[in-house]
Amino acid sequence: MIRRIPPKAYLTALAGAAALVAPLVMNDLTFLMRMVLAAIVVTGLSLLMGYAGQASLGHGAFVAAGALTVALGTTRMGLPPLAVLLAAPFVAGAFALVVGPPLLRLRGHYLAFGTLALLLIVQTAMSAFDALGGAFGISGIPPFGVGNSIFVGQLPYVYLALGCLGLVLVLTHRIVHSRFGRGVRAFAGSETAAGSAGVPVMRSKVAIFAISGMYAGLAGALSAFFTPYVSSDSFPAVESFTYVIMAVVGGLGTVWGGVAGAVLVSTLLQVLNTVSSQPGLPPTTGPIMQYATYGALLVLALLFMPRGVVPTLDGAFDRLAARRRAGEPA
Amino acid sequence: MKELVTYLVSGIALGSSFALIGSGFVVVHRVTRVVNFAQGSIAVVGGMLSATLLGGRLPHGVAEPAAVAICGVVGLTVGFLALGRRGTPPLISLIVTLGVSMLISAAIIWLWGQDPVSPPGLDGSATLLGATVERQRLLVVGATVLAFAALALFFSRSYVGKALTASASNPFAARMVGIDVRRMGLLAFALAGMLGGLAGVLVAPTNAVSFYSDLPLALSGFAAAVFGGLVSPLRTLVGGLGLGIAGQLTAGYLNGSYQTEVALLLMLVIMIARSSTFVHEEAK
Repeated sequence: MIRRIPPKAYLTALAGAAALVAPLVMNDLTFLMRMVLAAIVVTGLSLLMGYAGQASLGHGAFVAAGALTVALGTTRMGLPPLAVLLAAPFVAGAFALVVGPPLLRLRGHYLAFGTLALLLIVQTAMSAFDALGGAFGISGIPPFGVGNSIFVGQLPYVYLALGCLGLVLVLTHRIVHSRFGRGVRAFAGSETAAGSAGVPVMRSKVAIFAISGMYAGLAGALSAFFTPYVSSDSFPAVESFTYVIMAVVGGLGTVWGGVAGAVLVSTLLQVLNTVSSQPGLPPTTGPIMQYATYGALLVLALLFMPRGVVPTLDGAFDRLAARRRAGEPA
Repeated sequence: MKELVTYLVSGIALGSSFALIGSGFVVVHRVTRVVNFAQGSIAVVGGMLSATLLGGRLPHGVAEPAAVAICGVVGLTVGFLALGRRGTPPLISLIVTLGVSMLISAAIIWLWGQDPVSPPGLDGSATLLGATVERQRLLVVGATVLAFAALALFFSRSYVGKALTASASNPFAARMVGIDVRRMGLLAFALAGMLGGLAGVLVAPTNAVSFYSDLPLALSGFAAAVFGGLVSPLRTLVGGLGLGIAGQLTAGYLNGSYQTEVALLLMLVIMIARSSTFVHEEAK
């Protein structure tokens, strides 16, 4: 009797293999890098929105915190790149821990607008204070490297980001299936019930907010090394909305939803971008297509596939497997 | 002293437009518990439409109401999408309206391009308590006062207004006495669309609007509505005026570029300070 490997393990292996091969065969590494970074942010946002039931329209604030850590750490303080990369998630997480307790007293709509306000305040602070870049931003961030080996070209950054994404996914899986994760899922359903069953609701909320802030900070740090430029215009509100769109399209509250959403939405946008930059079309075609796609995706996904791509496919997959098992002779 | 009066008057004018957009949030949220993120986009559409209609040789006084009416239709469409299927939770509806506001942005760029548009308004300025104020800004204040008075009368005196309030306070009981709660929700969206359009029509002559203005407009309106707990039109008016005056005083005495941030910070403080009273509204 051969022990069956669960079919979903094949899918995970397939995704991993695709991730390893993609950077070698794709021409546009900038696009791939942005997609992987978005996947890291959205995995955290999906955790926050799906498991903790809290929406954030301003997750770019934490991406900015991570990127600023790298930009200021390397250019102003002369710290080694590895040290700032490791520090960035913790700085972003600490920022989330500071703003989390007051913000998370809000819920629902208020929290959504509160986080958006936070992002706009961070943007203003970045453009107003020269210590945070000021009007010109921070340029001259050195390439990433450890010791004497320094990254050359885009390829190593993409693999570094993919490695970070893998780490984030493993971590998310562990969190979701831990005792803490069960508590978080419980208060997403009902705070009162979870609280009376002994789940420290507020503390868990802040913790999950900080974790998703750490993911965003990691992505911000990687983007700062990749670009290598950070200014207040690097984190527009539309980008934070895009994270929400990706999270919703992929499926809230699934480990893989963030990745699926980031891949689907980025690819779609890239295709539309290519189409709209064809000669002969007016220059406004690009932004029109972009906004229309975002809007249509959100509205259609929420109205017709409210659980998102991953849970919907997952359900279909399970049904298929169940049917096949039922068909087998006992 | 003269400076102070100028800041106060322009603050009141600015705050009136916040309050008008905020009233749209309030009308929708009262009835449906949904926060309509597209409220800012609708205001932009209102401003753009009035510019186009005036350019198409419609006289003042006809073009503006026409723009407001079309915005009502836009609001109704947003409502159809946002209320969607029955049982859509309000937070999901918020994200749907975020999507709709992006669709509206696409339409705005398609129809009007990316440049800011400013329709002609009232020309000239008047002197008030020694301070010079543009007449268009006075018109904004007057129209806001009228709109809020009409809104108060509508909710307290008319049959439909009472039905709207009934749907808001207890949807189940409202259904029992034969009120179509879903239709009331759509009506609220249409009314909010008209209020948003009115705000846009009034603001655009002094502050040009572009597809990019939707977010600041929506946020400042939401900030005003937060003062009213998203349910009270009167407190929204007070909140809007307070925010406008605070913003203008900051702009005048400290630094002009921070007035939006002052409004946002005030909004955050008010929201967090009052969060315990919000709990019962949002509790499942």
